[in-house]
Amino acid sequence: MAENSQPDVTKDIPKIDLSDSIREFSGQNSDYYVDTLSQIQATGENLNLWNKAALLCGPAWCAARGLWNLFWLFTIAELVALVQLGKGIWGDLGASKMAEAEQLTKRAHDLRLEAGVAGVTGDESAESSAEIAMNLEKAAELAIQQAQAAASTWWLYLIAGIVLYVVLRYVLGKFANRLYELQYSAWRLNKKIASGFSMQRLTIALVILVILVPLTLYRFTVSSPVEWLVDVPVDNAYYTNSANALEGWFDRTAEAGKGVFDGITAGAQSVLDAMELLLVDAPWPVVAVFLVVIAWRVASIRVAIFTAASLCYIGFLGLWEASMVSIVLVGAAAFFCILIGIPLGIWFSRSEKAYAVARPVLDLMQTIPPFVYLIPIIAFFGTGRVPGILATIIFAMPPVIRLTALGLRQVPSTVVEAAVAFGATKWRILVGVELPLATPAIMTGVNQTILMSLSMVVIASLIGAKGLGQEVLTALQYVAKGQGILAGLAILFCAMMLDRIVQGRFQRQEDQ
Amino acid sequence: MNDNEKDIVIELKNAWKIFGERASEAMAAVESEGIGKAEVLEQYGAVVGIADCSFSVRRGEIFCIMGLSGSGKSTLVRHVNRLIEPTSGEIYLLGEDVMKLSPTALREMRAKRIGMVFQHMALLPHRSVRDNVAYPLEIRGESKSRRWDVSQHSLSLVGLDGFEDRFPRELSGGMQQRVGLARALASDPDVLLMDEPFSALDPLIRRQLQDQFMALSDQLHKTTLFITHDLDEAIRLGTRIAIMKDGRIVQIGTPEEIVTNPADDYVRDFVQNISKLKLVFAHTIQTPISEYKPVDGEDLSQSPRVSQDVDLDYLIDVATNTTQPTVTTDESGNDVGVVSKDRLLQGIRDGK
Amino acid sequence: MAESIGTVEILDVIPEVDISDSVKEFAGTNGNYYTREFKKVQSSKSGYCWTFNIGSAVFGPLWATARGLWGLFWVFSLLEMVFLVMLGLGVWGELGADKFARAERMQTNYEKMMTRAETAREQGDEEGAASFEKRAENLAKARDKATAEGEIAAAGGTRLLVIAIIGLVLIKIFEGWIANIAYERQYSRWRGDRTVRSGLSWPIGLLGFVIIAFVYVVTLLRFTTANPPDVITEFPIGNTYYLAIASWIDYWFDLASQNFAFLFQGVSRGIRLILDGVETLLVGTPWPVVMAVIIIFAYRSAGPRVAVFTAAALIYIAVLGYWQKSMATVALLGTASFLCVAIGIPLGVWFARSQRAFNMGRPVLDLMQTLPSFVYLIPIIAFFGTGKPPGILASMVFGLPPIIRLTTLGLRQVPKDVVEAARAFGATNAQILRNVEIPLATPSIMAGVNQTILMCLSMVVIAALIDAKGLGYDVLVALQYAAKGQGILAGVAILFCAIVIDRVIQGKFKDTEKGG
Repeated sequence: MAENSQPDVTKDIPKIDLSDSIREFSGQNSDYYVDTLSQIQATGENLNLWNKAALLCGPAWCAARGLWNLFWLFTIAELVALVQLGKGIWGDLGASKMAEAEQLTKRAHDLRLEAGVAGVTGDESAESSAEIAMNLEKAAELAIQQAQAAASTWWLYLIAGIVLYVVLRYVLGKFANRLYELQYSAWRLNKKIASGFSMQRLTIALVILVILVPLTLYRFTVSSPVEWLVDVPVDNAYYTNSANALEGWFDRTAEAGKGVFDGITAGAQSVLDAMELLLVDAPWPVVAVFLVVIAWRVASIRVAIFTAASLCYIGFLGLWEASMVSIVLVGAAAFFCILIGIPLGIWFSRSEKAYAVARPVLDLMQTIPPFVYLIPIIAFFGTGRVPGILATIIFAMPPVIRLTALGLRQVPSTVVEAAVAFGATKWRILVGVELPLATPAIMTGVNQTILMSLSMVVIASLIGAKGLGQEVLTALQYVAKGQGILAGLAILFCAMMLDRIVQGRFQRQEDQ
Repeated sequence: MNDNEKDIVIELKNAWKIFGERASEAMAAVESEGIGKAEVLEQYGAVVGIADCSFSVRRGEIFCIMGLSGSGKSTLVRHVNRLIEPTSGEIYLLGEDVMKLSPTALREMRAKRIGMVFQHMALLPHRSVRDNVAYPLEIRGESKSRRWDVSQHSLSLVGLDGFEDRFPRELSGGMQQRVGLARALASDPDVLLMDEPFSALDPLIRRQLQDQFMALSDQLHKTTLFITHDLDEAIRLGTRIAIMKDGRIVQIGTPEEIVTNPADDYVRDFVQNISKLKLVFAHTIQTPISEYKPVDGEDLSQSPRVSQDVDLDYLIDVATNTTQPTVTTDESGNDVGVVSKDRLLQGIRDGK
Repeated sequence: MAESIGTVEILDVIPEVDISDSVKEFAGTNGNYYTREFKKVQSSKSGYCWTFNIGSAVFGPLWATARGLWGLFWVFSLLEMVFLVMLGLGVWGELGADKFARAERMQTNYEKMMTRAETAREQGDEEGAASFEKRAENLAKARDKATAEGEIAAAGGTRLLVIAIIGLVLIKIFEGWIANIAYERQYSRWRGDRTVRSGLSWPIGLLGFVIIAFVYVVTLLRFTTANPPDVITEFPIGNTYYLAIASWIDYWFDLASQNFAFLFQGVSRGIRLILDGVETLLVGTPWPVVMAVIIIFAYRSAGPRVAVFTAAALIYIAVLGYWQKSMATVALLGTASFLCVAIGIPLGVWFARSQRAFNMGRPVLDLMQTLPSFVYLIPIIAFFGTGKPPGILASMVFGLPPIIRLTTLGLRQVPKDVVEAARAFGATNAQILRNVEIPLATPSIMAGVNQTILMCLSMVVIAALIDAKGLGYDVLVALQYAAKGQGILAGVAILFCAIVIDRVIQGKFKDTEKGG
């Protein structure tokens, strides 16, 4: 009854004929592939469908059929097998041990001679020398034995190599058609995927194999391969010359641009000094009260308590001054980041062209390990706090720029249009409409900048900025775990303190 | 006629807008060769936003521009205050050539002469309702107390007393749009541009706001350019209506003209399902009394008398209470025409 | 016609807004005064007009706190403090004290020199005596100069006093003027947001008073007395706690590293094993092979332009003799990123599934990224010693967070309805993960992989500090000896590694995006 009322829709389904498309896909030898691929699709099982071409030609088949990932995988795996094979057949297996034995014997011989001389002169060391020589000789003998043992294991390598090679080919032959079916399915969706049998690909693969296999085999199976294969054979002169040339150039530029560099240094220095007067020179109770009250007013009572606790931690561990110096460093860096970053962000949100040019630069600023730009900074600005700040700025500025640009781009165009329609000037729209609406994004950027600046504190101390970073660095040098960790936690607390205060301010604005 | 010309507040003459990098080339080709929309896209990769649009709006009029989405109506309204620059054409506002204004003068005009209401309200979320409404005045550099006075008054006009210290997000969509309207009114502009102001609202709220807007309009007589995609709305509000299709104005006319005399099949399709009861008037369907031949049992002296300016709705009410045809009269009470029941039914169906 | 429908001027009939009630509510005391003053401020077009608040002028910062204007409070107190310090210096500060002290020292030295000269003369050493006298003469000159400077400084006291008094008066006027303007703004904000502080609050005012009194006294002490008490200049607790706690931590670290040595060594060995494999591939394999493979790979995944760039970068590296170092660095990086991905993706999946795990994991992730990388080098050295495996571990600490975060994010962003649909067709959890969630989260996961690799790279360089060698070591050495040329060359090599890796991965990433 039930069967009658519910006819089975999967009965009587016409079969899709894929043979034409498989023929188009496979190109050469299409009949075979139509057969096997349809069969795989029909059963979904791994049938015993050997692909003889794959079995025989291995990676070359993969390449010719456009399965490049498979090609690399099997090339490397087969190379490993071949290296074992090569070691077994012509490799000098005990060579390293032999060399060791030879050295030992030589030293023993030398010692014996010495002992002989000492014995003649009646020196007391003669006996001990003789003893050492004897030990060495014993060690040498052992090494020779090991070398012989190693040399006699050649058949092990041979068998391992052969077995691995056979297994690899077996696996490839067995699974080739299934993988090729996957490629076919992918090709159905995207006709750019390689299809057919390509002589060009085969040639490329063969060239790669011809270069790769002998070189690698030679490198790994010969005990002392020629020097130029191990390391690139270049004259050291290139290095020294370019290093010297660069050095000269840096010195000249630093000399020529002295005014500019000194000006920048002086500018940064004045900001630093002002902040230092506030935080470092001012009596610590005043600073503590100031920070706690600011945290309370700007953020909340909870943040104020957290700030007070952090300050206690810092104070009781005697890290007060170092912490304040670090906060000044971070504060000054963040100040400059915001001062430069927000206008840049505004510009980039306006001009698509400028942003297109700047984006790779921003990417680079974030990708380059900070170590790299420490060097030119030292070259131009020397060591000390100002170069430390400059390095921090390079590292920490991108988020402000990015997020300012992003925030401004996300301001609804309707709102801006409304302002234009009421006759607002560009400046008024920026200040009265766009910036307030972009504030959440900008504040996120500022936040990230502050945190990133703090993580640069230690690196900045590498070039002479003082503060907590230096404590950590010293601890690192003397592996003083406890001190390093305590100072590190102090950095963390400073970061969280600044972060919470700034975030608190922003969250309040959000609540309004 | 001269008087009428003085009264024209907004005038567009042969305005074209072509979007795309090669807009000016395309425009030149359009002018010299008269190529169409499809050719412009094909040859220059440019899109025709509006094509050869001309219209004029008289003082105190509510001029509706109606069209489906993509017909270019929002683009058109943005030409009036040059939020979008036309590719060619002339625009006059209060007799001034808008295209010749300097940036400063243009800003001045936007701030003082034009109020605009937007489909998505476009209120500033970080400012209170009061500061939103006062924004045009702030741009003009008015003092704070003046701003507060005006915004309070403007808000009371739209019925939002006591909401001035709220923030836009605390208000419902309909209330937000009323804030938008209050903002447009705050600068006491000569012209109101309303870009689909009620489209984003629920039908019920939309209706309420339409009523409120009509009442306000009766009170203030602001010259209004009203954009909508809803023909019912256009008919309800508009003194005159322009119907747009593919960037061109297909027909301009009073609601009655549009309904009774659609210019082409496109407009006809639109007006087909519109109820004519309130749009068609007795004078449209009446048979002149001199030509009317009473049928058996009809006695025109027994007929009810109505003004010839009443609409069909009213006529139906009258006709159901009598067996006689209805007689229409002119302003001085003279009989001018007759509407028989057959004629009335035909009028309800065809609108004429 | 025109008259009948003429525009009604809505502005003609505007009633005035009466703010007096709300101002009274806002101000608490003195409501009438503030109503009047606020009206004045509001009526001015620029928002600035002449008004004077005597309360603010007299009490300054105290008025500001009592009225809840904390921003103004800081400005007022800072300004007042600057001039109060001047005043203090002028009245009781020992100006020129250091100069006088110097002059005194010179005087003593001068006398000493004279005695020596006399002794020399008595001994008949005319030449020596002359040279001593000459020195004494120089000292005398210096002494006179110092005394003169001291006197000028001392005389400057009066000038300071005058400047300070004038400054204070000006500040008071400023305080009186700005008060009502700022307070009117506060009022306007309060209208929209009743949490803004309003009224006159005595307790807050008192708090302000305490803060002010404390801050003024301490600051004056610090800057106007020649020898301020140490309690003020330095936190009165030395580094006793620091050292005690540090050595306590050291003790536990040592204990742990001894007791769990097998564990740490096991981890080290495991990493070493993988690293050796990767190194054999990159460093051991003949360089022409490696170079060719890298370029082909770049070509296949990111196109000819990247391939050309890659070739140029590799040639740069090879010609400058950085080949082996670069490959060692890349091996280190490869191992670290491989481990990050291998550990990070499952963790990310777990965090996406279990809110609790995520809640617990997030602070740890935050910590891992916020803590300066050098800080966790320390425990790593303590447990794992120096060398390459610890370097890899440190890189992992830095590189893990992005991959975990972005995997979690990607999985969470998978539309619920798609997952629901899969479940409705009877897919198992594993099938849903494999066929639905992971493919949809791939862009996010790939972004995580990219970030992880770049993070690891920047850390691998730092790891040179703990003897992990590679290119970072060269930069470090150059830093120590200020060898700019060598440092830059090595730095550029690192840069090239970073760019090549980034480009290749992004090329690959774009491919998958297009394919998907």
